Amino acid sequence: MALLEEPIKEVKVLKNYIDGEWVESKGEVIDVVNPATCQTISRVPISTAEEMDAAVEAAKEAFPDWRRTTPLARSRILFRLKELLEENFEEVSRIQTQEHGKTIDESRGETRRGIENVEVACGIPTLMQGYYSEDIASGIDEWVIPTPLGVFGIIGPFNFPFMIPLWSAPYAVATGNCVIIKPSPEVPNSQTRLAELVEEAGFPPGVWNVVNGEKAVVSRMLEHPDVKGITFVGRTSTARDVICKKCGETGKKYIAQASAKNFMTIMPDCDIDRTIAAMMTSFFGNTGQRCLSAANAVIVGDDDAFYEGFMDRVVEQTLKIRIGYGLDESVQMGPVRDKAKKDNIIRYIESGIKQGAKLRLDGRKNINITGDYPETCFLGPTIFEDVTPDMTIASEEIFGPVMSVIRVKDLNEAIEITNANRYGNGNSIFTTSGQSAREFQYNITSGNVGINIGIVAPMAFFPFSGMKDSFFGVLHTQGQEAVRFFTESKVVIQRWF
Amino acid sequence: MILHTASEGITFAKKLENDAAEFYESLAQRNTRDAEAFLSFAKENKKYIDQIERAYYGVITDAIEGGFAFNIETDDYALRVDIQEEADYADILEQATEIEKTIIKFYSDAAEQSKSLMADVPRAFMMIARKRESRITRLAALKP
Repeated sequence: MALLEEPIKEVKVLKNYIDGEWVESKGEVIDVVNPATCQTISRVPISTAEEMDAAVEAAKEAFPDWRRTTPLARSRILFRLKELLEENFEEVSRIQTQEHGKTIDESRGETRRGIENVEVACGIPTLMQGYYSEDIASGIDEWVIPTPLGVFGIIGPFNFPFMIPLWSAPYAVATGNCVIIKPSPEVPNSQTRLAELVEEAGFPPGVWNVVNGEKAVVSRMLEHPDVKGITFVGRTSTARDVICKKCGETGKKYIAQASAKNFMTIMPDCDIDRTIAAMMTSFFGNTGQRCLSAANAVIVGDDDAFYEGFMDRVVEQTLKIRIGYGLDESVQMGPVRDKAKKDNIIRYIESGIKQGAKLRLDGRKNINITGDYPETCFLGPTIFEDVTPDMTIASEEIFGPVMSVIRVKDLNEAIEITNANRYGNGNSIFTTSGQSAREFQYNITSGNVGINIGIVAPMAFFPFSGMKDSFFGVLHTQGQEAVRFFTESKVVIQRWF
Repeated sequence: MILHTASEGITFAKKLENDAAEFYESLAQRNTRDAEAFLSFAKENKKYIDQIERAYYGVITDAIEGGFAFNIETDDYALRVDIQEEADYADILEQATEIEKTIIKFYSDAAEQSKSLMADVPRAFMMIARKRESRITRLAALKP
């Protein structure tokens, strides 16, 4: 299969988008490298705290007028953005593959989910309606008005460079707020292209801003008194110890979506073909770099013949996965985002071996790259068997294409070990028994639960949930909960004499 | 070549439709009496491409497992689209029928392989396969 054309053709230094202008940063500039080819595709500035101040100032200035813009008018601009995203669907998808390494099918899926959030936010005239009670006391009426708050910060991760800021931003601006997006400096091109389309859609200056950078701009965003709230997706350590702490100190609202260790429970009565197909995408899709990727396969029952047969087929299917550059449409798994992440995954594989797990498939050696690309960021899929829940590979987030197989005697034990893990992001069960499925769904401590679903990604009109160390906050991104997060309930009680 | 991913399956479907459309456009130039019918086939082919792409782009979020949906050998669906100078009209119509049968087989096989993973794309495949069945009858009716 021929390689699809790369959308980024020359190395440019990216700019910040502040107050409707493309502004050069004064900060140092670092390379953005395509992990498949190891070629530099752009250069991104590490902006300064002063540049974040300028973005906050612009957003604050824009807020009163934007708030007064009617919800219907705001939704029309979002409709224009949706149309532009459809027109540029393929280009924005290929940018994601070029900067992140994921396959083109995965990037198109990411684009679609991003657009779906814009579509849902287009319904803001009804989504942000308040409610009213007449005669709460004699001659007195009471009602609630969802009111925007001002400036919100959106901090994006590296694994979904286009989609994740769109879990928040469309709802924030639809409700009348202004936003500052801080993309991951590893994958900033998607948000730059998105901001170009935002500009074309006709958002007023200052409503949608993008500031590239790292800790300095995040710290400033968190400290700034005019930033009313933050949404963040990243590691638990940052979510809990930085985002929650700083937002608590400065009185900001926050949604902090964090790390995961997802367990997939496989019952002996599962539909084997469909379960294995789902396992391939869940464990190895996006090269395991999803917060909803399955990491532990919990196989239930003591039937050795079932287990051996099932695992033989899992290994056989895994060995067929085509690894390479995601712009080759035949590729099913791309590289890890960078060398440091690959090295980290390798350290986990080494720890699994050291702690006594059986290495059934070694991704360090099993790298058959389709096409002539450097091995630098590529890893093959790894499968460990004889894993116990206390092993590091079974308990910590690896964020790579590593499957750890744990055998348990029954469903209760599967639920127990899943619930004992510190994370609770996306856990699933594969079964043909309604009773087992209900038992699992009822007892599992997990924000997102899959029944015969490998990647438990909520649609745009449902909240993206999380429990335990996978989520910090009250409300969630996406849908109605995002609308509630980006507004405060103003309660009015009225009496006329 | 083996197709594995939904993306590859869509690209191959587009190739089949475009190759067949070119065949019908050439045939329309060669046989002006039935040109209208052949040009309408070519036009339909382009509409089918739009339908498949719309289905694919519309559901790709849910069709991520399409990355592991297919195991299709493209050689099994090779089309003979070159028209021999010396071929008589009946032979060419037979060639067109073979093209249609091959494309129907591709859509049916692709729909079968992907139906457990997503709904819309196999549904689009099957709808086009069904519509193409009528072409075989129409081609037979053109035989002198």
